[in-house]
Amino acid sequence: MSRLHDMGGRFGDGLIPVPRDGKNEVTNFEPTFKYEWHAKAWAITLASGALGEWNLDISRHYRECLPPKDYVNFSYYEKWLAALTNLLIDKELISLSELKEYVSAAENGILKKFSDNDIKLDQRTWLAKDVQKTLGWGGPSVRDIDISPVFNTGDKVITQNYSPNKDISGGHTRLPKYAMGRVGVIYSYNNNHVFPDKNAHDLGENPLPLYTVEFKSSEIWGELAENENDSIFLDLWEPYLKPFPN
Amino acid sequence: MNEKKNIVDDHHYSHDHAHSHLPSDPELRVKALETLLLNKGLIDSKTLDELIDTYENRIGPKNGANVVAKAWVDPEYKKRLLIDATSAIRELSYQGRQGENMVVVENTPEIHNVIVCTLCSCYPWPVLGIPPTWYKSDEYRSRTVREPRKVLLEFGLPLDPKIQIKVWDSTAEIRYLVLPMRPIGTEHMGESELAELVTRNSMIGTGLPKEIK
Repeated sequence: MSRLHDMGGRFGDGLIPVPRDGKNEVTNFEPTFKYEWHAKAWAITLASGALGEWNLDISRHYRECLPPKDYVNFSYYEKWLAALTNLLIDKELISLSELKEYVSAAENGILKKFSDNDIKLDQRTWLAKDVQKTLGWGGPSVRDIDISPVFNTGDKVITQNYSPNKDISGGHTRLPKYAMGRVGVIYSYNNNHVFPDKNAHDLGENPLPLYTVEFKSSEIWGELAENENDSIFLDLWEPYLKPFPN
Repeated sequence: MNEKKNIVDDHHYSHDHAHSHLPSDPELRVKALETLLLNKGLIDSKTLDELIDTYENRIGPKNGANVVAKAWVDPEYKKRLLIDATSAIRELSYQGRQGENMVVVENTPEIHNVIVCTLCSCYPWPVLGIPPTWYKSDEYRSRTVREPRKVLLEFGLPLDPKIQIKVWDSTAEIRYLVLPMRPIGTEHMGESELAELVTRNSMIGTGLPKEIK
């Protein structure tokens, strides 16, 4: 049980779409934003997020909740735009009738931006002078809270084998399907981090121990593993893990 | 059955998807939404310009290249970088959004590291900037965990079967940077010259630093 975004390991995808030069060598540079609308879609998503009406986990979950046929058909920044639109409506920052009005104006070529003097900035609006400061702070997910981790480095663990989100069916989680029900070894403990399974649903931050867990590729893929020496490391919260053997 | 289990978080099922009202042309879609938000005073156009300029011109893989070059010439810095990457990277004034918890993983003759985010597109912004299109593609996200060797081959990087591949799937808020091996024959080169050899792909694990001619 999962959603389309959880695509690690699936079959059917073709060659990596990597830019190459005339000699068929992979190039290391491409423009940061291929089209101006990519840059705008990205920037209005960040600026809207700064209004403080939702957190990073909620915005991820909104992208993941797009209907499968849209998720598949949309390009990367189209997903961002669609999720942002749904968030803006659900959080009542814009109304559906306003949206329809602006969409209709855009389609008829009569979209009009007010002059700066006629715009009254919201109190929450992210100002240009604060951009560098806010980016520099970022949004740390570590919380200084007194919880001792249950597992130690080197412990064997097994991951939950279905529906890791215990509060909400089909709710947000960061345990990928390909790593469910698999045995791994605790590689490191990385302090206590905001728990996305709760935070994505406005159920509080609920910080919990976060571990990096090493899985042998043969444990994940069985006979399909390319090389039995290879490993995959995932960052997993404590509720995703059980001791092994039980 | 646990009653809580019946809560299905598909609030969108209950009503029309707001996003379905957007125009089919993505450029118009952005324009409509941007203008609405601007006119309502919820976003400021100068902020958008500042954001775009920052990541187009100031924050990008050159930052990461400086970190790598410093680690190549300064063993004490390298030690700090591998123990506490967030602090060591902050020494060069790179910090913040999408790099709050950095981990640097070191390539050796026996180990090759590759970074991916199978669930979305997590990427260490302060040192590498905004991810390239291929990093965000379905192809890279789906295949890198299952067949990293085939994927690396498509990047022109065949790896000896004796070399262990470690794939790091960024499933939480830890962001990874690969410390590639210093190319041979560069003993005479200084930090800034070395930084020129460090490619973006070498810090994701899908490439190697440039060799000297």
